[in-house]
Amino acid sequence: MPISDQTPLRLKPAAALVVGGGIGGMRAALDLADAGLKVYLVEQTPCLGGRVAQLGFMFPQHDCVLCRGTPDHGYGCVRPSISPAYLQHNQHPNIEILTNTRILEVAGEAGDFTVALRQEPRYVNIERCTSCGRCAEVCPVELPNEYQLGMTRRKAIYKLAARAAPDAYCIDRGPYCDDCRRCVEACPTQAIDLEEPPRLLSVEVGAIILALGFRTYNAAELGEYGYGRYQNVVTAMQYERLASRSGPTEGIVIRPSDNRPPRSIAWLQCIGSREKENPFCSSICCMYATKEAILAKQRLGGDVKCNVFLMDERAFNKEYSAYFAKARQQHHIQYHRCRVSGIAEDPRTHNLIVRYADPDGTLHQEEFEMVVLATGLQPPESAAELAKMLGIELNAYGFCETDKFAPLQTTRPGIFVCGAFSSPKEIVETIIDASGAAAEVMRLLNDRLMTYPYTRQWPFLANDQEFPPEREVNGETPRIGVFACSCGDVIGNSLDLMRLLHEAGRWPNVVLTDQVDFACLPEGRELIRRRIEQEGLNRVVIAACSNRTHDSLFQRTVRLAGLNPYLLELVNLREQCTRVHRNALPQANRKAIEMVRIAAGRVALAKPVYKEKAPCTPVALVIGGGVAGMTAAVTIADAGYEVHLVEREERLGGNLLDIYYVAEGYNPQRLLRDLVNRVRSHQRITTHLRTEVIRHTGHVGRFQSDLRTRLLNGTETVTTVEHGVTIVATGAHEIRDHPMLHLPGVITQRMLEEMIIHQPERVAALRDVVVIQCVRPNNLPDYCSRVCCTNAMKNVIRLKLFNPNCRVTVLYKNIVTYGFREQFYNEARRLGVIFMRYTDDHPPRVFRVTGDVLYVDAYDPSLGRWITLPADLATLSMAVVPSEGTAELARLLRVPLSSEGFFEEAQMKLRPMDFMREGIFLAGMAHYPKFIEESISHAQAAAARALTLLSQKQLDLGGIVAQVDPNKCVGCLTCTRTCPFSIPQVIQVEGRSGVGGLGSAAWIDPAQCQGCGTCTGECPANAIQLIHYTDEQMMLRSIGGLGAWKAPALV
Amino acid sequence: MSSEHNPSTPSFEPELTAFYCIYCGYMAGDTAGALQVDYPPNVKFVRMPCTGKTDIRYLLEAFEQGADGVYVVACPIGNCHHVRGNERGYARLKRAKKLLDEIGLGGERLEMFFMSGSQAQAYANAARTMTERIRKLGPNPLRLMPKPAPPHPEEEDEEITFRGRRPKR
Repeated sequence: MPISDQTPLRLKPAAALVVGGGIGGMRAALDLADAGLKVYLVEQTPCLGGRVAQLGFMFPQHDCVLCRGTPDHGYGCVRPSISPAYLQHNQHPNIEILTNTRILEVAGEAGDFTVALRQEPRYVNIERCTSCGRCAEVCPVELPNEYQLGMTRRKAIYKLAARAAPDAYCIDRGPYCDDCRRCVEACPTQAIDLEEPPRLLSVEVGAIILALGFRTYNAAELGEYGYGRYQNVVTAMQYERLASRSGPTEGIVIRPSDNRPPRSIAWLQCIGSREKENPFCSSICCMYATKEAILAKQRLGGDVKCNVFLMDERAFNKEYSAYFAKARQQHHIQYHRCRVSGIAEDPRTHNLIVRYADPDGTLHQEEFEMVVLATGLQPPESAAELAKMLGIELNAYGFCETDKFAPLQTTRPGIFVCGAFSSPKEIVETIIDASGAAAEVMRLLNDRLMTYPYTRQWPFLANDQEFPPEREVNGETPRIGVFACSCGDVIGNSLDLMRLLHEAGRWPNVVLTDQVDFACLPEGRELIRRRIEQEGLNRVVIAACSNRTHDSLFQRTVRLAGLNPYLLELVNLREQCTRVHRNALPQANRKAIEMVRIAAGRVALAKPVYKEKAPCTPVALVIGGGVAGMTAAVTIADAGYEVHLVEREERLGGNLLDIYYVAEGYNPQRLLRDLVNRVRSHQRITTHLRTEVIRHTGHVGRFQSDLRTRLLNGTETVTTVEHGVTIVATGAHEIRDHPMLHLPGVITQRMLEEMIIHQPERVAALRDVVVIQCVRPNNLPDYCSRVCCTNAMKNVIRLKLFNPNCRVTVLYKNIVTYGFREQFYNEARRLGVIFMRYTDDHPPRVFRVTGDVLYVDAYDPSLGRWITLPADLATLSMAVVPSEGTAELARLLRVPLSSEGFFEEAQMKLRPMDFMREGIFLAGMAHYPKFIEESISHAQAAAARALTLLSQKQLDLGGIVAQVDPNKCVGCLTCTRTCPFSIPQVIQVEGRSGVGGLGSAAWIDPAQCQGCGTCTGECPANAIQLIHYTDEQMMLRSIGGLGAWKAPALV
Repeated sequence: MSSEHNPSTPSFEPELTAFYCIYCGYMAGDTAGALQVDYPPNVKFVRMPCTGKTDIRYLLEAFEQGADGVYVVACPIGNCHHVRGNERGYARLKRAKKLLDEIGLGGERLEMFFMSGSQAQAYANAARTMTERIRKLGPNPLRLMPKPAPPHPEEEDEEITFRGRRPKR
């Protein structure tokens, strides 16, 4: 009897769950969606964005740039999210956003989980809400606005911020809401349903990513700082809102007691960090306090006194040291090395009195008009409960437990973690983690990538299948339809749309005018689509609301009607007329007519725009065989794609070859063996040892590289490989170039590590050791090498363990043991290591008189004089510098270097693993000095970004890009100098000769062009045109569109 | 045809053209709408992908077509989506101001404003500032001039069509 399998074959889910809709969750979800997996993005509040949505500026560049979170362009502001894929009408087809949602239960195992979710009602239908705000106008309940941290009020029905994702209102139905139903009556689209029940869902996913973020320390717990009692003591987050352009004062900082800009502000650091209860460093506070102080100087005037009270300056990332220097030298921000133990208030003025000590011990008392408490990071509120439910472990501090060499995995297989939930982290690290966690999921679900294909061929994201064939309109005379949306009565009540349409009907080429009640609702869109088809329209003007929010929606409508989406012009009557000219309606009407007139003129000139379809070679080239390169290679190969791994040296391993132990106690040699074995045995990885890249051409999806290999017999061969993406992981190393190193008995930190491992008996015999931090050759820029403090701690702890009587002195500028690494600093001090701070004014000097003993001169600020320390051994923590050949490789790849000589990423905060040149990614120490676990995350992040391209059969390139007319180009190189991204090149190509037989002409690669048009505005020969924004379309000479208004005055 | 009112009367209402980028500039306009911040309805908007697209010809063209004033709304310096498009645009705008001074139209009819997307007040203030300024300056002098014959009937030179250097005849 045949045995039949009773359980029908069930496909395993090609989906993932991301918990937390902050910047980390959004990044992870986006990468997964781009790799063709379905993503459920769960957020417990009504809006995406998390903490970053509340921050106006990011250090160290003081920019917002959420719009630069992805290579997408042409969408406009995407705040509070990081990608146009979260704009409501352009949402990634693979992402399902579940706001107001919590996890109830998780069953199953890695690759096949079933998750029960509960979504609380929003009471407002996102699809129907037009954000008109009528509901909030009539709502009688006022509450503190949590987005502004209680500094303004909101109604019970509210939108968290003017820019919210999803872009809709919601009701906070606490006990204060008495169901008066006024909002229900006021809503013009019947979007409100007070009877909406909670929704219970069950989703099947292969993996889970936790991006829970963090909670800020409750400053009221430390009574001595008077938070909650003294009005002018605020937390850093409150200050962020005050300084933010979207804050309650549009960025003018005022103090709460009298709403007056303060003339002096003090920042107190380490509130809730680096103390007994919370013995870890929150990693971000030094930087954000400096940012806040600079903002105060910029906004309130240079004479505002800004003092920061800190223990160490922890500026341990790219450009951060320079940022501190700028704060000090250019903005005259005062830093005091002192932990303030408490403050008092002057009850008359509400000023605050801060007592502090100088390094020499002198006590001071100073009055400030405002005090900002730099509150630290704590594990998220939900951590404990969620950990229990998911069965994952938390560490001693309540953050997620991870393995040093698998930094994105929780203790339960299939559940990954990113961002501040695993340890205090800033935006860059969170983004790296998030993409890295996405790579872990892609690896796990490697057989299911691209189960859900999508396309970027249009100016909006979509499934490929949903559209009819496009209608050819070339050669037709324009047949324009003008639709005016009354938006219920939001537009209709203020503007005379009949009059507008009547005028429009008289313009050339306008064959149809029509009024729509709600163009954005399904019924309105259907009407427009039908009218386009019935009347054979080939151009469309819709006068309704914002291009930013609704372009994608109406482009889709037009495309559904068979037209190219670029044959549409949307005019924003709502935000630009009716809601801002309430007291001047006749003129508003005239303006509306004029704006629609221009749109009709512009759309008549519009031409269909198509992107180029380019195949993607499913092969990756990874340059560098250290921990980052090997991790990236293994990740990509595990996910199912071929990898060429190029290593210059004889052996794989890079720095890992010489790291014998780490502070946390794990064995890095185990990691090395493991990685090398996996690389060597992987069927999809080809390893090229003794090999360098000597040529690299092409563009994303289709690169070609020449690899030159030194053979063992002394000859060389050159191999050519074709690949779709490139990952740069060339690393960095400890520099061993300093005059002090020539003295016998002076070694580097890495040499000390080797000595500890290989000559323990010699180490045990040492009686006096002096360790000097932050040593660099004179010609090197001053930056923090990030890893040396922790490495010094691990070594001095060993010295003390080998010989407790050994006198160990560490001379340092700042101890940068950020995050949980603070424990090693504490441990070193507990073991009796002496720490002495030095400054650049008094750098320590090592010298030898006679015999075996070295001496180190160090300046003691508390004594105010130099002291001399004897030493058997002096150890220098030397700076970490980029690998040799970094500059040449950068030239070869046409990517930039940072001021420190490391590779420069596309965007410092939001795209740390991307280069501006698409298809090339960055991983590991080539970016900046990093710990092993950070290099691993970074490599996985780069791999994830690479996989989002490799998993696509073809890429859509171009669109709105600049085009050079080679017959007009005079080869003056202006465009090459002007382009912010260095994309134009003047090159020789057959048939592109330039003016007067020049022989070559400018070439702008459509695969790379960002479509800003900067070159078009600058080209002296007028040889460059930006597609869809040509001179003809911009100047509108035929209708006089740029100048005097032709719309008749309305009375 | 250009407008119904007599531009020389004291009740002169300027007609302004404003260019903005689709990033912060456009967003600031949206925020002004969302927060219902009133500003004078004397300005019509023209969209650019970035203020780096600002072309001196567009600015001058607007005046030639009769605009009384022109301004550009850009992202704050350092905050440009395209890194420094706004700076390049500003450099060109300053050059255009000089040209306007030279030909007697006055560079103060042209201005650039930098603001973040959430600055509704700044957006409204730009419109207010320019409307008031142009009200004082009066209408674009080109509007009051008699219409000249269509300028130089385009002697299309097929070989050299780029701007600026026409071969001498």
